[in-house]
Amino acid sequence: MRTTAFIALLAPLSLSVSCHESDRSISISKSETRALTLFDQRFPGNIKDIPPLEWRRIPGTQMRIINYLAGPDDSVQIFLGQSGGGILPNANRWLGQFGLPQAESFEAFQTIKVLERETYLIEAKGDFGGGMGQEPKKNQGLIGFIRPSGQDVITLKMTGPADAVAAERDRFMAYSKSLKFVSPQLLSESEESEESEESEESEESESE
Amino acid sequence: MSKLTSKPPKSFGRRVFDILSGYEIAVVSFTLLFLLTFFGTIEQSWIGLYAAIEKYFNIDSFFVIPRNAAEKVIFFPLPGAYWVIVVLSLNMFLGGIIRIRKGWKKAGVLVTHFSILFMLIAGAVSSLYKREGLMTVFQGEKSDYAQSYTDSTIEVFAYDENGDRKPPLIVPNHQLRALLPTDTLTVALEELPFDLKISNYLGSSEMALGSEGETAKVIDGFVLREVEPEKEEEMNMDGCYVSVMKDGEELQELLLWTANPNPVSFVVEGVRYGIHLPRQVWPMPFEVELNKSVGEYYPGTRKASWFQSDVTKVAEGYSEDYEIIMNHPMRHGGYTIYQARWDEPEGRPFSGFAVVKNPSDKWPEYALYVAAIAMGVHFLVMLFRHASRGRSHSKSPAESAS
Repeated sequence: MRTTAFIALLAPLSLSVSCHESDRSISISKSETRALTLFDQRFPGNIKDIPPLEWRRIPGTQMRIINYLAGPDDSVQIFLGQSGGGILPNANRWLGQFGLPQAESFEAFQTIKVLERETYLIEAKGDFGGGMGQEPKKNQGLIGFIRPSGQDVITLKMTGPADAVAAERDRFMAYSKSLKFVSPQLLSESEESEESEESEESEESESE
Repeated sequence: MSKLTSKPPKSFGRRVFDILSGYEIAVVSFTLLFLLTFFGTIEQSWIGLYAAIEKYFNIDSFFVIPRNAAEKVIFFPLPGAYWVIVVLSLNMFLGGIIRIRKGWKKAGVLVTHFSILFMLIAGAVSSLYKREGLMTVFQGEKSDYAQSYTDSTIEVFAYDENGDRKPPLIVPNHQLRALLPTDTLTVALEELPFDLKISNYLGSSEMALGSEGETAKVIDGFVLREVEPEKEEEMNMDGCYVSVMKDGEELQELLLWTANPNPVSFVVEGVRYGIHLPRQVWPMPFEVELNKSVGEYYPGTRKASWFQSDVTKVAEGYSEDYEIIMNHPMRHGGYTIYQARWDEPEGRPFSGFAVVKNPSDKWPEYALYVAAIAMGVHFLVMLFRHASRGRSHSKSPAESAS
């Protein structure tokens, strides 16, 4: 009797009831809100931006730390990245993709202040010859900025069908002005400004 | 005569009590715990520590089938360790505290049983309420949050006109972890004008650029693929598809992946929202400023042999300097902060602090002290009794007669 009762007692332990619904619904109340922390002030490359409502942010990649889609059928791509190679080689590579003549100096480009520095504006229109893993395409447009940054350059670029790119031009220009460096995680502002001053100096000496 | 010696039959309740408080359950429980620990230890070498603990010791594991590296069954199904410990605790309470003969001679044993029971309860409290996470801080920077090693949550928030995030609403990990890739979870969000429909939730995945002839669903040029789980659970990245729904209509389909460091966005009713799937973020009631992070690697490796951090803790306007060394944590209001990692990528040293909040953190230690004292008292009592008996036996017959 005692043994039977003992086995009966242990038996439920060996049983597992598994119920699984394939389609569930839940509600998340406002109490499930998390307090803001420094985690919420992290920005790729420490660059904060304010995009227009018409743009939609998509996952970034190694080459595109900020990545947006816009325009009809998401046909326009806007992305920001950092690369080596200097200003002129990058500008000429962009122009070359459209079969346009190469520039011989920076003076060929209009400048505008982006991220607190003079930055070169490159515009191209025509048939895109392909490159960087992209297929050749007819009647495309490009608007981009190249900003010196130490040994590298920061590039902000918008590409897509020429009409769609032209339609986004004003928003792109306004967007470029919204970009700013932020580092709330740094211990002191003085450290940050010293660092940026140092990099400015090295950039200037380099460009000279 | 026989009438005087026969015992009255036991009631049903008494018989159940006798079984529950008997040695048989204690012996079976200890044997099962030995087998579970044995097979769990073996299996963790194949499936990893986290998966083995989840399989053998989780509250949801009612029974466990030990398997080898080739997934072949290597032993009979065993009850889950959590529930064996529950049974053992009940048995210990009924047998070791209620049923045991009381008296000053047994006081030490009683207190020892109580201490062991308390230790088991501490384990249960820890298993249910302990929180831990990792706070990573680079030298010259500060942090006020930790992140779970393994659990991801979906966070959805609105941006204000300055591009800053408003406090995010959280879809908790336990809701996501329960999902199979074929399951769908519809989430209604209070005060937000849309629902989320989560599908294809993968606990171990990679996000890649969608290539031509891709069989997986391509969203914004990216695909999500299931990959073989890593042994170290924190290396496994969650991923899923999320549809933004309004009035039953899909406004946007998005792809979320834990390792993607930045939220993706969508617009509903003129407001821009961000959504992502990070490791659960755990806000701290203090800030840690890392003034100096030093360490050394084992020769020829990138594995740290020792490390140390000089930090300033800032809480409620007060700051205090600490030195966190490997076995010398910093404590603050129930939080314990150990240094668990150190590295110096590209000449930028950083410290990884393990943050633990466990209400029963010190209970096992206290229970151990009490048990040690109680057992000491018990042994002294036994020794005293033995010595007294010895003296009475060694008296001469003449002394005894007198």
